Amino acid sequence: MNFFSQEYFKKDWFGLLIVVLLSGVIISFFKPAFLSSFNLYVLMLSVSLWLVVAMSQMIIIAIGQMNLSVGAIGGLVAISFTGLMEVHGFSIPYAILTGLFIGLFCGFINGFLTVKTGISAFIITLATLYIFKGMNLGITEAQPFYQIPESIKNFGNAKIIGPVPYLIIIPIIITVMMWLLMNKTQSGRNMLAYGNSVQSSELMGISPTKVVITAHVISGFLAAIGGMLVVCRLQLGTPNIGDSWLLPSFAAPVIGGAVLAGGKVDVIATALGVIIVAIISQALVIFKIDPFFVQILLGFMILIAVFINRYREYKEERRKKIFIYEASHE
Amino acid sequence: MKITISIITSIFLLFGHYVMAGSSSTKVALVPGGPHPYFAAWEQAGKDAVKDFGLGKADYKVPAEWDLSQQNELIESLVGKGYNAVLVFPGDAVGTNKILGELDDAGIPTAALAGCVEQPTKAKFCFGTDTGHSAYLGTKQLIKALNGKGKIAHFTGFLVDPNTTLRIKAVEKAVAESGGGVEIIQVIADIDAYEPADEKINAFMAAQGGEVDGIVTTAWVPAVVAAQALTNMGDKRIKMVGIDHDEVVLKAIKDGYVHGTMLQNPYGQGYIGSYVMDKVRGGCSFKANAPWKSTAQTNQFIDSGTVFVDINDVDTYVQAMRGISLEILETFESTYLNC
Repeated sequence: MNFFSQEYFKKDWFGLLIVVLLSGVIISFFKPAFLSSFNLYVLMLSVSLWLVVAMSQMIIIAIGQMNLSVGAIGGLVAISFTGLMEVHGFSIPYAILTGLFIGLFCGFINGFLTVKTGISAFIITLATLYIFKGMNLGITEAQPFYQIPESIKNFGNAKIIGPVPYLIIIPIIITVMMWLLMNKTQSGRNMLAYGNSVQSSELMGISPTKVVITAHVISGFLAAIGGMLVVCRLQLGTPNIGDSWLLPSFAAPVIGGAVLAGGKVDVIATALGVIIVAIISQALVIFKIDPFFVQILLGFMILIAVFINRYREYKEERRKKIFIYEASHE
Repeated sequence: MKITISIITSIFLLFGHYVMAGSSSTKVALVPGGPHPYFAAWEQAGKDAVKDFGLGKADYKVPAEWDLSQQNELIESLVGKGYNAVLVFPGDAVGTNKILGELDDAGIPTAALAGCVEQPTKAKFCFGTDTGHSAYLGTKQLIKALNGKGKIAHFTGFLVDPNTTLRIKAVEKAVAESGGGVEIIQVIADIDAYEPADEKINAFMAAQGGEVDGIVTTAWVPAVVAAQALTNMGDKRIKMVGIDHDEVVLKAIKDGYVHGTMLQNPYGQGYIGSYVMDKVRGGCSFKANAPWKSTAQTNQFIDSGTVFVDINDVDTYVQAMRGISLEILETFESTYLNC
């Protein structure tokens, strides 16, 4: 049987899985420390955060929109979560619930304004980015919150077994839930249909209001979880949390083959995209790359990862064309 | 932008003095490059300057992001609200000069605080830490703690910050003076945001924690994250010299995970800077023969002071910095000004 006709080869995530495995083998060949328990722990911590951030953006890409305020929501929730505990004496569960509610509410505002005004989500979330960030600065006056309960600090650093951190549990659950949502529920299919063609989805009876608001609410909810995970990891609530999320939030879904115009996302490929970016970032440190050249190399390596995956798509499309050609000439 | 500032200033000059408060009409805006805990001391410094020197106002105003255009827009709006002196951490060492020139044309004195702008500039002076010297002294302290032998790593901030290059060179200079005993095995830069700093510093620790003997950090966020990483690892073998006074770093010094930190003087910068702005608005000019220091960007630099703090004096560092500030303040007028 032809290798390229295998079922798994048709999947978006297959090329990326090859990239992950190849890069892991190559890096560990030159630097065996890459496979050390501590390094794998650090890698998993890094993946934990970016997985949630990427999923938060991916669901908006699925409906053909962009959420520029992902980091601002995460940052606002992070400082609210820590501030409520430090300044107002909230217990951990109440602080978590409030943080999640803030995330949901911010997402709802994004979705509601996008639907009701008809203005593009790019512009709406650009505006709310400043609003949420402004609220963050207004609350903190650029000062971090330091008094984090020990149990949260422990959660951010403890390991379940071997190098596996507790922190990765929630992102894994989220990834599974997102896969179920996008692949097994009507709601997920509606989002993809809406992202593919707004007009067609309306003809199919899909409510744009429901789809857009649901996607933004989930995005805000995930950004909120991301913000709180960073607090657990850093052991402080600083107003800068979320500032660096924007580009990575797009990088992983795009590497994972998401179409920015909407209608096509792959949860597993996005997760592999996160792992690829984390491995590349780590490799640049491990190989002691000159700091002035890190960005150039990062860009090139992401391009290589994308090209490898696109090559698989190209082969798959070519195979289909040949099949159609042969079928039409029989 | 120039026209905007001119119109705003003209309106304010016509009506502004009716709404002045305090014995001086000087209203100072202290504007950092963006949100960062380093600058937080400017707020109290401004308040104290109002109280101690009778200024009309000295307010700390933070741009929402580290973005030159946002900083410029904030400064414009503050001028519109009647601020007539501006102390600014340059959003860009060259780009900030444009708005400083426009403010000067409108009769509003300015100075660069905590970081300098490139000359030629209309900023009256630059008042900040001699970042290169601080990095040099910090590395010297680290080399001393390592008994002149070992491998070190340098973690620093934004590559676009001109101070970063100065810091990298200063660390290299101190290491070169060790006579080959100390070697820099890695420089990690552009980690002035917490998430990438956490990612990269921990990746470094995982890959090379076993072979590194010392760490010098020359920016706030890397210092915090590296101190946290050493604390989490429970590693007291690796000696680290940090920078600034974040609680995480100070606690790590007390707990023995960090050898010491190079303190800067943000409070003194805001306090003395506000005082000088009032003096300049009151008619004082700078002496032609003032003993300016030179940096790579300017030859009108005043060092706001830096001091190394370790476990012995970590509880009394505030007094140490206050002492430096008072020393500069006491002699500032006689040293630099014609009033």
